[in-house]
Amino acid sequence: MNCVELQASLAETEDSSNSEQQQAHLKTCRECSALVAELNLIAATAIELRAADEPSPRVWNSIEIALRQEGLIREGLIREGTTRPARAGRSLLPSFSSRWAWARWALPVAAALLIAVGVYVRQHSLVVQLTRDTAPPATVSGDVSDAAVAGLNDDDLLQEVAQLSPAAQAQYADNLRHVNAYIQDAKSVVAADPNDEEARRSLMEAYQEKAMLFELAMDRSLP
Amino acid sequence: MSGRTIELVVVGAMLAGTLIAQTQIAQTQIAPTQAAGTHKDYRFNVGPKAGVSVNNPYGSISVKPSTGNVVVINAVLASDKVEVDNNLAGNRVDIQSHLLPGADAQSGRVDYEILVPADASITLHSTTGSLRAEKLHGDVTLEGAAASVDVRDISRAHVHVKTLNGPVTITNVQDGHVEVDSLSGEVTLNSVTGPLVQVISTSGGIHYIGDFGDRGEYRLTSHSGDIEATVPETTSADVSARTVRGEVHDDVPLLPKTHTWFPITQGRTFTGTMGQTTMSSTVVLRSFSGKIHLRKRTSK
Repeated sequence: MNCVELQASLAETEDSSNSEQQQAHLKTCRECSALVAELNLIAATAIELRAADEPSPRVWNSIEIALRQEGLIREGLIREGTTRPARAGRSLLPSFSSRWAWARWALPVAAALLIAVGVYVRQHSLVVQLTRDTAPPATVSGDVSDAAVAGLNDDDLLQEVAQLSPAAQAQYADNLRHVNAYIQDAKSVVAADPNDEEARRSLMEAYQEKAMLFELAMDRSLP
Repeated sequence: MSGRTIELVVVGAMLAGTLIAQTQIAQTQIAPTQAAGTHKDYRFNVGPKAGVSVNNPYGSISVKPSTGNVVVINAVLASDKVEVDNNLAGNRVDIQSHLLPGADAQSGRVDYEILVPADASITLHSTTGSLRAEKLHGDVTLEGAAASVDVRDISRAHVHVKTLNGPVTITNVQDGHVEVDSLSGEVTLNSVTGPLVQVISTSGGIHYIGDFGDRGEYRLTSHSGDIEATVPETTSADVSARTVRGEVHDDVPLLPKTHTWFPITQGRTFTGTMGQTTMSSTVVLRSFSGKIHLRKRTSK
């Protein structure tokens, strides 16, 4: 028995100690021996948790139904009068009661994870693609909300200066109005000529002015 | 009562009267000092190219060059509701006006007179006071909301200024890297030259008086503020001016360019070269709704 055969046999064997071939290989192979030692440790820990974490029969039934719908369970393997599939008098679904049964769950769990990851990646790439296809560059369309730009929310600023004197508050409000007008004008010029580099620079400078307004309002030295 | 007793009573009364009078005199001497403010002096020995940072919510800061590698700070505190925190860390001096509970713009005011080595980099911050720096060749960074800013006689250094509505005056900066951001304050640059001179203002006016140096980039931009550049006849510059809703005026003869990358609209744009093209700086004047005026300086 080589390493591949041993690792394949682990999932099929209820108790590794029963296999003479396994024992013979483990005596000569340090890596497999270490692997089995780790598996034994995990299995022992899993057994301790089994009583508390055993899923309810409804869970098993749901899994069975799903597997049957996917054609992964053959009808011939299901015992008469039971909802649980069987193989050689035992449940097809591995039970945590067997020492190496956890390994049998590895394949379906890995498959489910792969499917989930695949679905996520596909959906994500679709969203990205849609975004690329439908959304023009922000600097060209000028369709950028103030809040999207570094969180420059006007209400935040007004709230920040609320503790200042009425005159100072009026100054900030006035400057906020001016800088917003600056941004709108810059946007309109960029929209009129997206290739105008100076116009794009103006838009950036307008946002820079607004950022500075926020910086001054939130300055640490203000009482 | 014996004569000896009377003598003792008289001497005692005289001593008591003297003590009371001295106490009253002392009190009248202390009272004016408190009204004028408490003086605090600090002195730090630093190395070359030291950094000095002053953060003063209320009050003025004035920085001048010292002799030698020493930082001297003279602070006048308006009341006991503010104190001066100072820290020397390596080659850096940090000064902070620390407002105590109950302090306001009057009682929390501190006015600083600071001497720093000429090569020191300084960062000054005040909300309401004036900020002034002169005769330095280290980097100068000044920030203030309503603070007026006055920078003069700086060479081979970065000058960065940010204000909300305080006026900014920068005079005689040579070979500088100057960046001014002001929302509504008036910005005046007088004899300011360097590789980069940039002013961005939202609603404040921008005034440039000088010759734009040589081979520098000068960008004066406003949203609604007017831009006025007054130059001598000897100026060499590639000038372009554009406004969206304002006006442009040009009193200086410019050699028109054969090719421009933006459309020329009468009254809204102009572009051209003045003086020697080989020594010319690039000048961009841009406003959305303000007026742009390039005028020739009359010799007086």
